[in-house]
Amino acid sequence: MKKKIISLLLAAAMVCTMAACGNSSGQENASSNAKAEESGSSDAADAVEPADAPALGSQEGAAASAEPVAIKVFSNLTDRKSGQGFVEQTLFDQYMAENPNVTIEVEALDDEAYKTKFKAYASGSSMPDLVNVWGQPSFLDEVIAEGLLAELNQDDYAEYGFLSGSLDGFSKEGKLYGLPRNTDVMAFYYNKAIFEEHGWKVPQTYAQLNQLAKDITAEGMIPCSMDGADKWPISIYYQDIVTKILGDSQQDVRNSVSTGDFSNAAYKQAAELMQESVEAGLFQNGFETSDYGTAQNLFTNGQAAMFYMGSWEMSMANNEEISPEVRDNIGIFMMPVVEGGTAQVTDIAAWNGGGYAVTQNSAVRDEAVKLLNYMFLPENWSKIAWENGVCMSAQNYADFLTGEETSVQLAFTDIISSAASITGVTFNDLGDSEFKTNSEDLSAELAIGMVSPEEFIAQLEAAAK
Amino acid sequence: MNQVEQKFTWKRALLYACLLLVAVVQIFPLIWLVDFSLGSSNEMFTNGLLIIPEKIRWDNYVTAFVDGHFLHYLKNSILVNVTAVVFVIAISILAAFAVTRMKWKLQGFVKTLLLMGMMIPIHATLLPNYVIYDKLGLTDSFWALLIPYVAFSLPQGLFLTCSFMDSIPKELEEAAIMDGCSIYRIIGTVITPLMKSSMATVAIMTFLNNWNEFMMASTYLSSNKWKTLPFSILEFTGQYSSNYAVQFAVMALTAMPAVVVYVLLNKYITKGVAMGAVKG
Amino acid sequence: MRKIYSNKRVILTLILPGLLTFLLAILAPICLSIYYSFTDFSGMGEAVFNGLDNYKAMFQDTGFWVSLRNSLLLAIGFICIQHPLALITAAILDKMQNKAEGFFRCVYFIPNVISVAVIAYLWKFIYNPNFGLLNNILKLFGFEGNVNWLGSGSAIWSVLVVLIWHGFGWGMLIYYTGIKNIDPVLYEAAAIDGATGKEAFMKITLPLMKPVIQVNVTMAVISALKQMETVYLLTNGGPGDQTQFMANYLYKQAFNSFKYGYGNTISVAFIVICLLATVLLNRIFKEKDA
Repeated sequence: MKKKIISLLLAAAMVCTMAACGNSSGQENASSNAKAEESGSSDAADAVEPADAPALGSQEGAAASAEPVAIKVFSNLTDRKSGQGFVEQTLFDQYMAENPNVTIEVEALDDEAYKTKFKAYASGSSMPDLVNVWGQPSFLDEVIAEGLLAELNQDDYAEYGFLSGSLDGFSKEGKLYGLPRNTDVMAFYYNKAIFEEHGWKVPQTYAQLNQLAKDITAEGMIPCSMDGADKWPISIYYQDIVTKILGDSQQDVRNSVSTGDFSNAAYKQAAELMQESVEAGLFQNGFETSDYGTAQNLFTNGQAAMFYMGSWEMSMANNEEISPEVRDNIGIFMMPVVEGGTAQVTDIAAWNGGGYAVTQNSAVRDEAVKLLNYMFLPENWSKIAWENGVCMSAQNYADFLTGEETSVQLAFTDIISSAASITGVTFNDLGDSEFKTNSEDLSAELAIGMVSPEEFIAQLEAAAK
Repeated sequence: MNQVEQKFTWKRALLYACLLLVAVVQIFPLIWLVDFSLGSSNEMFTNGLLIIPEKIRWDNYVTAFVDGHFLHYLKNSILVNVTAVVFVIAISILAAFAVTRMKWKLQGFVKTLLLMGMMIPIHATLLPNYVIYDKLGLTDSFWALLIPYVAFSLPQGLFLTCSFMDSIPKELEEAAIMDGCSIYRIIGTVITPLMKSSMATVAIMTFLNNWNEFMMASTYLSSNKWKTLPFSILEFTGQYSSNYAVQFAVMALTAMPAVVVYVLLNKYITKGVAMGAVKG
Repeated sequence: MRKIYSNKRVILTLILPGLLTFLLAILAPICLSIYYSFTDFSGMGEAVFNGLDNYKAMFQDTGFWVSLRNSLLLAIGFICIQHPLALITAAILDKMQNKAEGFFRCVYFIPNVISVAVIAYLWKFIYNPNFGLLNNILKLFGFEGNVNWLGSGSAIWSVLVVLIWHGFGWGMLIYYTGIKNIDPVLYEAAAIDGATGKEAFMKITLPLMKPVIQVNVTMAVISALKQMETVYLLTNGGPGDQTQFMANYLYKQAFNSFKYGYGNTISVAFIVICLLATVLLNRIFKEKDA
């Protein structure tokens, strides 16, 4: 009898487990029901014209006020008071003011925690409505393949001024699934005052960069601070060199990742050049374990003369917490050209990374799309982001130049507008997420000399296959 | 052991010096934390380990207290942890009685099964558990935290309770049975009062296991309603990524309740543990 | 009386709460884990059964073996360094019999009360090659002081130091409470026989503490195998996979590489290893008993 009870209990447990395993069909049913319910009310609202948006917003607010809507947003912008998080929150507040029936609930987690939680959400049934996504195959391919994201109507955005190519990363097989927040480009931030004081010049060639590293080290300073713990900055640094050897290489790199063929001599040369720079002491001692904050603080506290990071850090120039000696003296330059390479300094590594998408199974999908469309009206995200010196949107923001931009902002704008070629998604993000992990690990190992350039190429090829 | 031994010798001085050194090493994190939390971020990158802040910045704590939702999260933390402790203790005593005192065929097997929980890495269960809670509609609720917290502290609690119960002589309860007491009454009135010290240990262990836990919390919760103290830290590292000093203030602030409780109750806690938690 | 002790209904009500918690929160996810470990599940969508592929891949995965080695290294570190030190410190404290005893006992335990996030931050600062404490101390003694503590080669040792340091207080507290349970009469008798402190420790404390040591060591080995948070925050396994530990590695595979099925394969192996370690330790201790 005792035995029976126990075995019954165990059996019950198994049943529970099985139920949990085999539930996906039930979930799909539920969601398709939800879809059916919504489909009636979806069409009209999508075609928002940028020009009359405020009026439209208020109309809708009046019309729909009887029916309260709660939109759940899952964001990777944890800082809601400055930077992109501030812009996001401002737009949400604005939207809620214009549409009193809408409440927006934000859950924000840092990148790493965000990706973990995203997965948990994806495996359950309660996906938030508007989510942050990265317009890179390494993140988006799997998410789209699982049908988690709702397709957006491309015609909606004809007037939004998205730069050509900026939606590519968010599209798959001709269908659009998300909108990019900004245009990202990697650069060396440098401290003009320190450079002037020591008579250092912005390097014009890669050899000069290495020489500069030696000169700065000789003065007892850190030449360039690098966020090595996150690994992707190292990968992008490598991509940056490759770009400076090959020139317009977007298609070449794509082919290499998809076929696993990295035999082009440029890849090995770039690997050697990166190791040369590390040997020349370009990065701080222990850069491979320095996290983002530490690397940035070395620069903002004047201990490092340069900082290799993306354009989203342009807001350092108006960050009150950074001392004016550094804040007012920030300049930028791009990865210098490599002798013998075919590229010019205007062949740059730039891409559209973070952005938003609406989830397919959202109960308020159309409301979420409306919110998304509202956010990216040119006079919203693009304008507010630019005026606050936060980042360059992926849209044409030429109309919003105020004349009060920081020199860093203007320099970045100049770099983008005069670019001869743009890489798009960098190599580490071109494969699946496993390739991303492996290639970024490899880049870090290459940088600290744990693998030789030959091994790096061989293992990179293995990882791509 | 007696006064004679307490007299000064060089050997003794050396011993004290060593112990003090270890003490400094152990308490250093706390000093460091409080020290940096009172400065400004720029001061952190000096070449000393401790700093003398140019100006003591209490406002770091004000920011931490207000923006970190300190009171709200503290309330949740206390609620979840206290409930978890109560559940762990109660379930441990019941189950321990069943597997150490009662006579049934599967008792050995069930005991081993329950103790096996000790060997399970919580990270392996993160996603499956999410799937299960999601099915049961428990995500983002009080239960989503309580269940795993109880479940992962239970094996250790049971283990200690069992070993302690083994050391309680059976005569007492046998006498009670003669008087016609039911098993439930025996557990309630005879056994439990004898288990105070083991309950204290189980309580501390459970508390320490869960007080700073954030992996499960951040996976199972999404709204602010039930978020616990570690979220203050988690949210701050993003929100004030360039302002280390404020981050440190929030860490000091969240560490404080546990440290204060520990220092105040230290005597009782150790006594509780000492009275016989580990009977082997 | 036997009848009362074997009343099934009573047994059931006593064991049910514990068993249910266990089934719901531990066994059910493990069953799911085992199921996923035989699939190519990415964490979303359909899980396709792929037989033993994951297990085969695991045996050839150097990352897995490195993380297993590191976990075992940590276990050895706990057994050979942390626990002897903790035991000796506990014995010394027990003999102090004055106010200092309470002070030290309290202070030694404090790192355990502080969140690992703080601990990891602190050590990052201490190890920082550019402005960290350790290099500053080296400079003080005239060395160059540019050691890259968390760099290639030295990283695993630096991480072990942190982990051994962090768990010291807990081990000490348990030993301390164990020693307090030893009847003082035994020591008094030994003192009358003219035994020195060292002899008393070897002849009385150690043998009587055996069960406590056994429990404590077993728990330490398991906690070594389960180590995750500190490493995750301190190095996240780097450089390369040099400081990878099993829990961290499975987390990385499951959540960063979207190889959830494979991550579960590691966690199944992980559970098996933990169980084996416990059985093995029990064997060892039993043999010594005989």
